[in-house]
Amino acid sequence: MNGVATQMVASAVAAEASPDSSVQQSVNEFIRHHVLIHAANVDACNVPFAHLRFLDIFASDAVMLFVGLAVLVLLVALGFRRDREVQSGLGQLLELAVQFVRDRIAIEFLGPERGLQLTPLLCTQFLFILTLNLLGLVPVFSCATGNINVTGALALMSAAVMIGASVQALGWRGFFRTFVVPGAPRALQVAMIPLEVVSLISKVFALMVRLFANMMAGHITIFAMLGLVVILGSVALPAVLVAVAVFFFELFVAVFQAYIFTLLSAAFVAQLTEPQH
Amino acid sequence: MDATSLSSIGAGIVTLGVGVGIGLVGMSAISGTARQPEIAPKLQTMMLICAALIEGIALFSLVICFLQMK
Repeated sequence: MNGVATQMVASAVAAEASPDSSVQQSVNEFIRHHVLIHAANVDACNVPFAHLRFLDIFASDAVMLFVGLAVLVLLVALGFRRDREVQSGLGQLLELAVQFVRDRIAIEFLGPERGLQLTPLLCTQFLFILTLNLLGLVPVFSCATGNINVTGALALMSAAVMIGASVQALGWRGFFRTFVVPGAPRALQVAMIPLEVVSLISKVFALMVRLFANMMAGHITIFAMLGLVVILGSVALPAVLVAVAVFFFELFVAVFQAYIFTLLSAAFVAQLTEPQH
Repeated sequence: MDATSLSSIGAGIVTLGVGVGIGLVGMSAISGTARQPEIAPKLQTMMLICAALIEGIALFSLVICFLQMK
């Protein structure tokens, strides 16, 4: 059960004795396995509940997506009552989040009309990403937003909304005109069209990579700090304190990245729906 | 030197540039807020957008590093 951990300690000891590339290779392999596949999470840390094999299902990102969905649905079902004017505790928290997204993101960037139209989508993105980010920080649970396929799907949804809102606001003609830079010489305008197309694609790509890399980098940092204990033993105990500090920073990053993702998709929609840009 | 080491060094260099970039964004936001405290919320949103866009470049280099890892 602790095969991976033992192997890693053995590798580290071997690395001290004779540093060669194959040891480096196996450590790299271990990190990749931990971060990208997550199946080694429970095995690697010699935790008391490591024998509970059913916890392994939470190492799958697909399962975590459904767990996140269940948490969100339960939150709304338990907290929000349609027949009440003033919500109680949990409902007020949800109202706070929704109001924040509506006023500070949707209406601020998209104006009152389109902002209200897109608020449901932006709220969904915000709450879903926030839930998955925070669930990813719970031990045993895998971080679904640390998977590039999940963030890719979210970014593609944003892209569809960006193009859809642009076509709705300006028509197909207007949408294609956003690729033309106004006020430039004719030859330059033609030369700029491919660049503008690439810019649109790279916006979506950046949305995907930003969320994925932020979440993954945080997990690698925590893992590297805790991994020192696995490699060096009790000498590295202070690293646990650093890991705790990084964990609290990651709590901030989890909220911040959910905010940034929502805010940037709203800002990109706003860019594409303006007639002149 | 193999591709992994080279890409790690490259990521370090990228991080230098990105650090300067985000530092400049923060500096301008702070001095703007000091001159006109009443527009602080607006400046903060703009600062966050710029910082996030710049940060994306550093994350690209991180991802390229991971792609090089074998």
